[in-house]
Amino acid sequence: MNRLEVMLLELKDTSEFMVDLAYSSLLYNNKEIAEEVIFLSDTLDDLSTKIQDTAIELGQSKSDEVAKIAVVIRLQTSIMYIAEAAKSIADVVLRGLGEHPVLAMSIKESETTIALGKVSDDSVLVGKTFGDVSLSTISGMFVIAIKRDRTYIFGPGRGTVIQAGDVMIAKGPEEGVAYFKDLCDGTEKEL
Amino acid sequence: MNVRELLTEMKDTSEVIVDLAYASLMYNSDSMAEKVHDLEDDMDNLKFAIRYKVLMSCRTKEDARQLSGLLQVASAADRISDAAADIVDLLDVPLEKRPFVPAMLYESDEKIRATKIKSDSGMVGYTIGELAVEACTGCKIIALKGRQGGIYDPEDDVKIRAGDDIIVRGTEEGYNHLTEYASGKIPWDFPEESDEEPEEAEDEAENLEDDIGDDDE
Repeated sequence: MNRLEVMLLELKDTSEFMVDLAYSSLLYNNKEIAEEVIFLSDTLDDLSTKIQDTAIELGQSKSDEVAKIAVVIRLQTSIMYIAEAAKSIADVVLRGLGEHPVLAMSIKESETTIALGKVSDDSVLVGKTFGDVSLSTISGMFVIAIKRDRTYIFGPGRGTVIQAGDVMIAKGPEEGVAYFKDLCDGTEKEL
Repeated sequence: MNVRELLTEMKDTSEVIVDLAYASLMYNSDSMAEKVHDLEDDMDNLKFAIRYKVLMSCRTKEDARQLSGLLQVASAADRISDAAADIVDLLDVPLEKRPFVPAMLYESDEKIRATKIKSDSGMVGYTIGELAVEACTGCKIIALKGRQGGIYDPEDDVKIRAGDDIIVRGTEEGYNHLTEYASGKIPWDFPEESDEEPEEAEDEAENLEDDIGDDDE
């Protein structure tokens, strides 16, 4: 991939992550998660400008690339619509309008639900990385954020080590929730 | 549908429509793009239905304040579906002008992949719900092709048949796992019935939500 494609892909991945975080912030009426959505939205504004500048430079030097540039700009625009929609969901929470019970219920009942797992001292997950345990492959639950002490880790990577006391926020199917929670609280020992 | 059901439907649609939109670009699929447009039309109808129901239910100033937030979420879900429709309109651009798009999308964090169900796969004859495909592999089936017109955003009661091409969204590792099941290389591992008391689980959830909620600051 060239630089332009790498930036566009990052824009896309971040926009989807923002939507996940935005719905989580709504479910838990959580302003810290909502703030992260706003922060990511600002970084995407900067990234969009860079993508446009790079595309224009490319068009000036290689005129046969103009068709590709048009595709890049159209994708960038659509992706930013998605990012802005995520931002407006987070905005509901930040305005203090996130407490209506129907909001949380509608997310809990959806096909892709969001659940919390608190990692206990005797959980098999303790001391392992996400790469080690492949939580999402075995439970269907994909961890989007971790609350550790008073701070959050957003979008943990394969190398992130799971610690006792972590509260993990994961999205996935309803059928995966019980196993995920059991793994976290130490009831289930088998990975 | 009541307001809660309408909003759930809008949230679900806003997620699957984006997956389908990117998948249609990856596999150059006009029929998938058509489904995206159908879902976008559904979303418009849902948006009007939810506005109507919400406005009808407003009695006090406080109702109006809280429900304005709910309507903002509904409208955001609708805007996501509009963006998905714009994305599939890129299919109108000749294929040779966008060769980089499938290659780029292939590298996404959330992978979209396709695999074929072989006749000796342990998945054949079972429904998506019976298999709990997403819980067992981390991959969500977003489309089944190779049938009349294909099935997009399949319900849990759709049965897997030999010869189906399934398009899934998930992690690379989950996909590798799934292809082993789909090819019949390893038998399907049926999930054990959960014997957990649901009421107890509910209590735990509430305690945890206090952890994550803003009240503990």
